[in-house]
Amino acid sequence: MAYYVDRNVKMTWWERIYLPEILRGMYITSRHFFLNLFGFIPFFLGTSKRRKIFTVYYPEETVKYPAAYRGRPVLAINEQGRPNCVACGLCEAACPAYCIDIVPAENSGKQNEVERWPKEFTIDYAVCIFCGFCEEACPEEAIFMSDNCEISMLDRKDMKYNLQQLSVPIAQLKDRLEFTRKMYGKWNY
Amino acid sequence: MIVDLLITLVKILFILAITVGFFAPVLTWVERKQSAVMQDRIGANRADILGFTALGLFHAVADALKMFTKEDFIPQGANKVLHTLSPILALIPAIVTFSVVPFGGEYTLFGKKVNLVISDLNVGLLFVFAIASLSTYGYVIAGWSSNNNWSLLGSMRTSSQMISYEVTMGLTIIGVLMVYGTLKLTEIGAAQENFFHWGIFLQPLGFFMFLAASIAENKRIPFDNPEAESELVAGYFTEYSGLKFGMFFMAEFIEMVTIAALVTILFFGGWHFPFVSTAALLSVFEFLGATGANLVAMLFHVGVFFAKVAFFIWFQMTVRWTLPRFRYDQIMKLGWKILLPLSLANVVVTGLVLLAVS
Repeated sequence: MAYYVDRNVKMTWWERIYLPEILRGMYITSRHFFLNLFGFIPFFLGTSKRRKIFTVYYPEETVKYPAAYRGRPVLAINEQGRPNCVACGLCEAACPAYCIDIVPAENSGKQNEVERWPKEFTIDYAVCIFCGFCEEACPEEAIFMSDNCEISMLDRKDMKYNLQQLSVPIAQLKDRLEFTRKMYGKWNY
Repeated sequence: MIVDLLITLVKILFILAITVGFFAPVLTWVERKQSAVMQDRIGANRADILGFTALGLFHAVADALKMFTKEDFIPQGANKVLHTLSPILALIPAIVTFSVVPFGGEYTLFGKKVNLVISDLNVGLLFVFAIASLSTYGYVIAGWSSNNNWSLLGSMRTSSQMISYEVTMGLTIIGVLMVYGTLKLTEIGAAQENFFHWGIFLQPLGFFMFLAASIAENKRIPFDNPEAESELVAGYFTEYSGLKFGMFFMAEFIEMVTIAALVTILFFGGWHFPFVSTAALLSVFEFLGATGANLVAMLFHVGVFFAKVAFFIWFQMTVRWTLPRFRYDQIMKLGWKILLPLSLANVVVTGLVLLAVS
């Protein structure tokens, strides 16, 4: 969408003197300065829990990410304590970075309700690009993008997560579950 | 004789302590913290000693430690002597300027007259400008000796900018000289005891032009073309690290203090509090004896002076975090086409008014 920037703005005589405009700008910044400076006082007196500032002290406190946030993909564990995954391999096929590796196995009856179950399910976070295609491809609501993005490590080998490490109870993924149902439900899969 | 020497030594130590020891490190903190508060952030608050952060004040200590322990790098092909010399050439004038800046009046302590200025030169104001212009050499040599194109461009901009704005600065000062009729900074300060004789009332236009020109001399935003980060990596000190970089950094902050002190002396009544004359102050504290009253007056005046200096430092910081950088041609246009004619007109008008009054 092309748009035109008018670089020859006609300034009024008042603006061309420049000094009043400088003072106006300085009034705005110093207003912020004094409001914030004296806004600290209730915080230090303890009458206010938070400063009137949006800064988050990151490692100590974090913000809650919105449901649409795509963190690291995880596997959902249903209420029976079993993975929803049926090892169909659709996420593996959908993955543009080839970071998912599934070894399916025949169900002996206790792992799952259906015939197949993922004997090994590996996601290499060093390769993953957090695109969310696996989640979109999954027909069983088994793989979800969580809100966790703190996965930096010193060793690349540690970044390969197996089935146990990937498993997250579905109760923790409720927001994302609703979000995916809403989003992908629209498109009539 | 010995007493005079001791008094001078104490004054020198006081000035060194207050500029290099107090203002230079604290201003690095002030700059970070004030910008944060102005922009609704929190700012530096992580450096701590035993879990005690003191509002981030220890960042100044951490910065100093970092500068001491950093590698002192001299690039290949650089002129080693000049490369080492230039930060010194930049820093020394900034400190030396303070030798003629008075930070208080004249007091009688124990029957001895104490003048709160290191050297009360007859040509004080000219001395300030002579020394301040010397620092240009430091910046130009820094850029030239670094063997780096960005540095050279930065130093060329420095020289052109400083030369342009020194003209305005000098002409602005002439108005002040005509009003007070002296070059001695102590006498200019003493002449402003009456609130309505402050320079800001006698030379309002001069004040604004002097402030603009001196910020341009100090190469701070909005006039920071010589070190424009987004254009020339870091300008003339691109190739400097460790303590040498620290010296450039310190020079900038000390010059800021100098500018604030000069503005206070020339336009804002120096060490005088509005409507409180020295005589009134001495008579109020007469019960403490002559020396005691003088001592109280001295402390009061020094306090007032540095409070004013602190205000103007705050003002410069606010300007720095409010205005965007000028383009190079805009700087030249402002300097030669607007400020120079205005300062000349200021001199003429001041002369006419003085003639009419007398």
